[in-house]
Amino acid sequence: MTAHRLLAMTAPLREDFVIGHHDIGDAVRPPRLALVGGIHGDELTGIFVLSRLAHFLTGVVAGRHPGHRLRERVVIVPAVNVLGVNVRSRRWPFDGTDINRMFPGYDAGETTQRIAHAVFALTRTAYYRVDVHSSNLDFEEVPQVRLYAPEPAERATAPLFGLPAIIELRMNAVYTTTIHHAWRQAPGENFVLQAGHAGVLDPATCDRLFRALVTFVQRAGILVGSRIATEDDEVHYFGPDQTVPLISAHAGFFVTRLEVGRWVQAGDVIGQVFDGFDGTLRHEVHTPVAGMLSGVRRQPLLFEGDLVARIQTRQPTPLHVQTHLTGQGQ
Amino acid sequence: MEITQAPILTLELPYREQLQLWRSRFRGGPGPRVALVSGIHGDELEGLYVCHRIAGWLEALAQTQPAALRGTVELYPALNPIGIDTLQRFVPVFDTDLNRNFPGHPEGLLPQRLAESVMGELAGMSLVIDIHASNVFLREIPQVRIAEEFKGTLVPLANAMNIDVIWLHGSITVLESTIAHSLNSRGVPCLVVEMGVGMRITPAFTDQLLTGILHVWRRLGVLGDDVVLPPLSHAPVIADDHNVHYLNAATSGLFVPEVEHWTSVTRGQRLGCIVSPYEGRRLSEVRSPVDGLLFTLREYPVVYEGSLMARIMGLGDAHVAAEGV
Repeated sequence: MTAHRLLAMTAPLREDFVIGHHDIGDAVRPPRLALVGGIHGDELTGIFVLSRLAHFLTGVVAGRHPGHRLRERVVIVPAVNVLGVNVRSRRWPFDGTDINRMFPGYDAGETTQRIAHAVFALTRTAYYRVDVHSSNLDFEEVPQVRLYAPEPAERATAPLFGLPAIIELRMNAVYTTTIHHAWRQAPGENFVLQAGHAGVLDPATCDRLFRALVTFVQRAGILVGSRIATEDDEVHYFGPDQTVPLISAHAGFFVTRLEVGRWVQAGDVIGQVFDGFDGTLRHEVHTPVAGMLSGVRRQPLLFEGDLVARIQTRQPTPLHVQTHLTGQGQ
Repeated sequence: MEITQAPILTLELPYREQLQLWRSRFRGGPGPRVALVSGIHGDELEGLYVCHRIAGWLEALAQTQPAALRGTVELYPALNPIGIDTLQRFVPVFDTDLNRNFPGHPEGLLPQRLAESVMGELAGMSLVIDIHASNVFLREIPQVRIAEEFKGTLVPLANAMNIDVIWLHGSITVLESTIAHSLNSRGVPCLVVEMGVGMRITPAFTDQLLTGILHVWRRLGVLGDDVVLPPLSHAPVIADDHNVHYLNAATSGLFVPEVEHWTSVTRGQRLGCIVSPYEGRRLSEVRSPVDGLLFTLREYPVVYEGSLMARIMGLGDAHVAAEGV
């Protein structure tokens, strides 16, 4: 039995609610790996993939996957914002709190501070700590590892996921309240994974993320046995000055046919902006730089100044603007 | 006195509408410039009403004593206009707290552009007062909140604001992205007022704060010394992180208060209880941990385990502000 109650709380007018987690492997040892998903209730990809990973690792321990052995303890919280998942709310539904602005939490504080405290207490002793996100309702992200002001060991470990993009970012004031930042106070290595698009469950993205996690647990020596993930994307590392946001100068209806992860050339059309009343083409969004399309807008309604895409350049560029990453799915 | 209303920022919305950020300006003599800002959170309306009352007071002054406005007053009542118009605390669509987007960015997303635009307009002000109205859950006595690092400049101003509490709080990194921290860091004094409750207007609090604002402006030279103002009626006590006690719900249910807001309480006194609509017994009794002043009281009855129900300032540690009014 690997399922446990991380936190049980009363609710005003319904039954008590439980935030559950999986604790897989030798419970006497500190966990080697902690995985957290669903801090935002609308980010379904991470929740689903972590549940599948828990199923797989539980099966390994139970002997259902001959030839594999789990050498280390792994804890997995598929969904922190349980009520948010059930009512399709990104935030904690009762008071609109973003749980990822509540860390490290406080066990005698507000409800979401208590939730944050419990999740942090469970995961902080793991050596590898991974927070899995799925962007937001507006934007799709290529499966990627995000590093915030990383330590050298984290830079070295990030490629073990085998994901196509590793994106290094600087820390900012808002992110100091995230679980990732809270983890940084304890020894170990910390990663944010971003993949897909909130509110949807794309099977290919789920498969890619699942393979990344299995690859990681194998390469990190947590799981031994024959390789399950047989193919690897080419991994690209993008430093803190290699992210270029593409901003629309016009409002309207945004249309794009591009897929995330593809490479574009300077001058390529990324999408078009139409007037939603008379149907005229108002604007074509061109990329000023060549690089990987790491994220693209999926919400067609566009405000003036909205982010429509993000390009990762092969070299540092002065067009880099950190500000547009704020609020994007984390 | 020159009175104008004009947008300071216009942004296109997706379908044939615009977002405009409006300012009212009352320009008198060459004296100091001051501003009121409110409506950063779309569910906080107290500041909007204060702006209305200030506008009315200045319009009356223009009729009776126009030369008494020695400086310039600017009102920015609705920094989150779509949020106010659609009854949302955060910036709609962007789902972000506007007060975590300062100082903003001219090429950022809409909330960052709003923030940057306002910061540009407020540069060089002698004083900015940022008026908040708690949230829909908690009712607050009129108070000014000041980060410890800025208390030397701000406490003397807050003392004359006719409020009941000055709350000095330690630095929290995330608050660096607020308008107040951004302004104070750039040398523009900014006082954060909290009063009342979200989605409501409390006229008595407005009257109280109006008097304080006018006194401070007169002290700064925005208003002439010959302007006759109602006397100050409230002197603040100072709260800090050491004497404020938080009462969080021990269980979920309906919180029913048994005391009035802004009242003295004694250690062990029952302040209310948490009940369930399914049964007659009390689930939890809420008692004061100290002798003190109840300066925050829950307005919205439904509580989850952990929900804040009250804040009490311990009287043993509280003290009247050193500089009187």
